[in-house]
Amino acid sequence: MTNKTVPPSSGEPVKEETPDAASPDSGTEAPALEVSGISKSFSQRGRSIPVLEQVSLTVKPDEFVSIIGPSGCGKSTLFHIIGGLVKPDAGAVRMNGAPVTGQRGSVSYMPQQPALFPWRSIEDNVILARELKGAARSEAREEARRWLAKVGLGGFEKAYPHMLSGGMQQRAAFLRALLAPQELMLLDEPFSALDALTRSEMQRWLLELWEENRRSVLFITHSIEEALLLSSRIYVFSGRPGTILHTVDVPFPRPRREGMTEYPEFLRLKRQLSGWMREEQAKSGPLR
Amino acid sequence: MISRWKQIWPPLVAVLLFLALWQVSVTWFHVEKWMLPAPSDIWREGIASASSLKGHTLATLRLTLIGFPLGVAVGIAAAVLLHIVPWSARALYPLLILSQNVPIIALGPLLVIWFGFGQLPKIILIMLVCFFPVAVAGLGGLAQTDRMMLQFMKMAGASRRQIFSKLELPHALPSLFSGIKISAAYAVTGAVVAELIGGNQGLGYYMQIQKSAFRTDRMFAAIILSVLLSLLLFAAVVLLEKWLVRWKPRRDAQ
Repeated sequence: MTNKTVPPSSGEPVKEETPDAASPDSGTEAPALEVSGISKSFSQRGRSIPVLEQVSLTVKPDEFVSIIGPSGCGKSTLFHIIGGLVKPDAGAVRMNGAPVTGQRGSVSYMPQQPALFPWRSIEDNVILARELKGAARSEAREEARRWLAKVGLGGFEKAYPHMLSGGMQQRAAFLRALLAPQELMLLDEPFSALDALTRSEMQRWLLELWEENRRSVLFITHSIEEALLLSSRIYVFSGRPGTILHTVDVPFPRPRREGMTEYPEFLRLKRQLSGWMREEQAKSGPLR
Repeated sequence: MISRWKQIWPPLVAVLLFLALWQVSVTWFHVEKWMLPAPSDIWREGIASASSLKGHTLATLRLTLIGFPLGVAVGIAAAVLLHIVPWSARALYPLLILSQNVPIIALGPLLVIWFGFGQLPKIILIMLVCFFPVAVAGLGGLAQTDRMMLQFMKMAGASRRQIFSKLELPHALPSLFSGIKISAAYAVTGAVVAELIGGNQGLGYYMQIQKSAFRTDRMFAAIILSVLLSLLLFAAVVLLEKWLVRWKPRRDAQ
């Protein structure tokens, strides 16, 4: 599937959050992920601290969707709720139309750090999610080897993670998520620990790989440019408690080009998003 | 090769110097042989009573090789149980520590009363000495599982059993081994103490007999043999660790 978003007219490319998740999808396919009305608060020393408030978002099949927001806006909590690790106080999570609220094992996950298992070789790390679902090791390994060669990790199949550079480890971690049997991928700031050069290299690598092998992706990032470069839609979160402030449809056609970061429209969107982010940071900033 | 030699020679020279000093001062100050025999006397006596020493050494080795693995196994089992069933940790941890506060020497005769004069009380004594470091280190290792990896496992829908076998256990292996190494260092001492409480073989028994005869040279020979056994066991554990934890980055490579 390609991005169905109609490029918005030059006037207002940004629509405010529409609760399309609340109503059943009118299209033929149910959304890969449908989060509706999620609220969550944690209690700390007897006080209840709201972390998420009425968050609704949708990831269509084979769509790349990003979440950006100030730190501490509850993005990771949202991931934990989608992944079934944390139960929401209110709201529901659906995948392909089926309710999965509080149910583990229905997403494929890539954490901030590669978190590769140091005692497993790279190929055994990459097949881990499949192995957990009972796949035959030898078969999974064979496919893993093909993929490792494809992403430039050929020759490192039997190496242990500590022998790889940070960027290579992240590639392996991404591959581990990509080869997982689950359809929806959650990527939690996967490049935040990398240096700037490696980071932009990894962004291009991920973009290319994803455009060839479409999957439904929900991506958390702090980088506006990263979000614009990769995604079809961006949800802008407020500071704590996290709510969705804006939904931005990114109008650029795919495959995305190297030079798109120079487009006036790209720069305009970037300015717009930066403005919102600054506002939010300023609201929560002086308090801490 | 040269760098390895550089590592070996300082302790080697130190030991040789120590032995030389010992030898010289014993002759110089005319120390009685039953008080402190010279290294050369110990060596001569060791050669002379080699056959009986060999028998006792093998007995101690056998006892150690039964008690030590059993103790380690019980230690691992305790760590796993206390980790998997959280309330059991709260209930049993004080008991665990208590088991180490009871003086082993006092426990020996009691064990003989309960379990007779056979091998059993000795094996239990060694197990008591060996299981504790393994249990504590193992429990610590299991509790310190990497949070990101744990999150990954949970997100991927891993079962409790998968989380344990594919993450927590391998993650705890290095700290488990630091416990096993401590146990290995104690095991032979534990066996020697166990042999003091009864029976008619082993280095502990031998030392006790020689003590009554004021054969200090023979006691020293037995001590040296038990130290060698201990080192051997320790080296074996280190080798096993190197093989099982071969994925760990080498310290000098970090």
